[in-house]
Amino acid sequence: MNNLYREQPPVLPVGNVKIPEAQAIKLINGIPVFLIESGTEDIIRLEFTFIAGQVREKSALIASTTNMMLTEGSEYHKAEEINRMLDFYGAFISLSLEKDRAGIVIYLLSKHLQRILELSREILFSPAFPESELETLLKKRLRWFLVNREKVQNIAMDQFFESVFGMSHPYGRQVKEDDFAKIDPTMLKEFHEQNYTSSNMAIIISGRPPANTTDLLEKHFCDLPEFICRGNEEIPKPKGENNRKIHIARQGALQTAIRIGSATINKRHPDYPGLKILDTILGGYFGSRLMKNIREDKGYTYGVNSLVTSFDLSGYKVISTEVSARNSRNAVEEIYNEIDRLRNEPVGESELELVRNYMSGEMLRMFDGPFALAESFRAAWEFGLNNDYYYRLAEKIRTISPDEISELAREYYNIDELYQVTAGVE
Amino acid sequence: MIRFSKFTLENGLRILVHEDRSTPLIALNILYNVGSKDEDPKMTGFAHLFEHLMFGGSVNIPDYDTPLQMAGGENNAFTNNDITNYYLTLPAGNIETGLWLESDRMLGLDFSQKNLDTQKNVVIEEYNQRYLNQPYGDAILNLRPLAYSIHPYRWPTIGMDISHIERARLEKVREFFFSHYAPNNAILSMAGNISGKEAYELVKKWFGHIEKREIRKRELPAEPVQKEERKLILDKDLPADAIYKAWHTVSRMDSDFHTLDLITDLLAGGESGRLNTKLVRELKMFSEINAFITSDVDPGLLIIQGKLMKDVNFADAEEALAEITGNLANENGLTDEMEKVKNKFESSAVFSNTSILNKAYSLCSYELIGDAELINHEVEKYRSVDAGMVSKAALQYLTVTNCSSLYYKSTRNN
Repeated sequence: MNNLYREQPPVLPVGNVKIPEAQAIKLINGIPVFLIESGTEDIIRLEFTFIAGQVREKSALIASTTNMMLTEGSEYHKAEEINRMLDFYGAFISLSLEKDRAGIVIYLLSKHLQRILELSREILFSPAFPESELETLLKKRLRWFLVNREKVQNIAMDQFFESVFGMSHPYGRQVKEDDFAKIDPTMLKEFHEQNYTSSNMAIIISGRPPANTTDLLEKHFCDLPEFICRGNEEIPKPKGENNRKIHIARQGALQTAIRIGSATINKRHPDYPGLKILDTILGGYFGSRLMKNIREDKGYTYGVNSLVTSFDLSGYKVISTEVSARNSRNAVEEIYNEIDRLRNEPVGESELELVRNYMSGEMLRMFDGPFALAESFRAAWEFGLNNDYYYRLAEKIRTISPDEISELAREYYNIDELYQVTAGVE
Repeated sequence: MIRFSKFTLENGLRILVHEDRSTPLIALNILYNVGSKDEDPKMTGFAHLFEHLMFGGSVNIPDYDTPLQMAGGENNAFTNNDITNYYLTLPAGNIETGLWLESDRMLGLDFSQKNLDTQKNVVIEEYNQRYLNQPYGDAILNLRPLAYSIHPYRWPTIGMDISHIERARLEKVREFFFSHYAPNNAILSMAGNISGKEAYELVKKWFGHIEKREIRKRELPAEPVQKEERKLILDKDLPADAIYKAWHTVSRMDSDFHTLDLITDLLAGGESGRLNTKLVRELKMFSEINAFITSDVDPGLLIIQGKLMKDVNFADAEEALAEITGNLANENGLTDEMEKVKNKFESSAVFSNTSILNKAYSLCSYELIGDAELINHEVEKYRSVDAGMVSKAALQYLTVTNCSSLYYKSTRNN
């Protein structure tokens, strides 16, 4: 074997990401449409998004049930017929519900755009909320809920949101078993009427849409009534609960789920790109400090990660892991040790270079292909931001200094302010 | 249509390259023809544990992940009954870093006792997290040994028992490496911003000098034909009853494979599948029900699994289910429905081609079962299935005596 051949190849700097600009148009009634042409296949990702997430609901399950009932029957077709048509055209629909937004995403072959737009119009704007379908859906969801409540990771995550955002705020409110009996079609119709409106919506199309796409959109959506101002009341800012340390006992659990974190700034804040980098170092990739320590060195867990993400009214950061019950205390301690290190010791140059390069590669992946492009576009657009946000992030990845990282850690990772939720055996 | 070029090195390594200039990245996939079916029944879970150890350092490189991340790359791997598959994506300019890393660990591993000990713990936590600490997570651990009596598909990839992982020893790991990891037992593919010729030259540079190895001959016992129905009822502290039914079917290479796969789509493809329409929506007996075929290299299973609604008993639920599967045997005028599931296969195939990682993996996977070119003929195969083939296959495979049923009976009163 010739050892010369085994020398490490030189690493070229990862090139700057080039992000195609979305083409922004407005339908005659003002509905914003964003077209992102990309990819090699004749497919489309079609998203209709509304400010109709949990943040808009007065009590639990309304936003999600309204969203899930969209395909359960319309004024013109029964649920079975709608689903059969979607399946017939080889389309995949995903009902999407988040804290702030809700809507549908459909993946389709470009040649079926006309039929799918027609059907989308019906699904989104003429749902019938039939009683018997609603009853079946709620029964089903109750069974799913009961199964999910067995999982320590769900128990811990739900409690984490409650602790961080407050039990009565829609970001923090937990679903309870008896909530399922409280839903009736009238509540859903009202929620739909107020939130699934043309003034509340945007259409994002990526992939290879046909040349007449704008005409098709006008045809199917231009007659929706224009903006009607109904004076949306202000939703209060979320406020965390006082108790910052909660354990939920689950007898017999083999693993303990751990969630540690707090509310934080969101994407609109100038420090956010730096915080993303800090979070990556801590637990945002396979080579992160938490992964190296808790998994690769100590073998306490199959995986540990940290995340910082944005909502409209706030943001949050969380460290998540499931560890063997006997190691849960040690794992919690190691998590705090890693946070301490970030606050008190500057990150070394070689580690920082690694993170810079990894994240630069990650930015290429975030804009590779029509699906990724649309998701990244939306993730900035919904905060009133554009591609400048990503260019700022890319610039920060190249230039952030070790001192800046320590300062961010001291500013945003104050251990006394973090919430600690665990679920498992005592 | 996925265009690709194919090469074979002198040491037996097969190379498949798909050029896609629309991306700045390259996906690199390496499939090793070794899975949990190649394990000693007393040391199950080994192929998967081994996959973890492949990241613990190789002859010239102490740590796999760091140099890859330094080059802007990301990677992962999975193991199943048939194969162990490693994949990564990199900015095109840094593809050699990926080839350097992958060729070095094909050349030889060099991990420590400490590494082995840690990864054993990690795998045990994976076992807990995925199977034991999830409601219904252990169903597959009970269903496999019910359906298979002697074939190694009777144990799951994670292993038959945690103690097998705990007992793994360093010298056994070395032995496993040299009898399964070799250029002549692997298929490499690349998809992305690179031409076939460039890719071939680079693979030859990094892998060309790795010598052929003697691969342990695969002698798997054939599963005998099942002659009578098998049932296993387990009491479980769970929120709802559940049923799992498995029928022996065929290998992925068999001519009946596409018909059987299409049957599972008639039953459970999309929201409008028959099981969902009848048993969930109309009769409200199940809260969820699904059907799928295991796409195994050796004869696999067709599995239907569902969770029962409150106050529905097993007998009624099974009778309703049996009526639907029974009807498949006298299929005739189902033109629209057949068209629907075939359209779905077609669109799934197109969607999967939007990802360079999917394309790279599919090329290796089809090459393993005979020929990478099959990637371009799957849709026609589904298109050629007709109602007669559906009823024939249903009659032949979905019989009572060919079925193993597992029942999870909830011990709770809710």
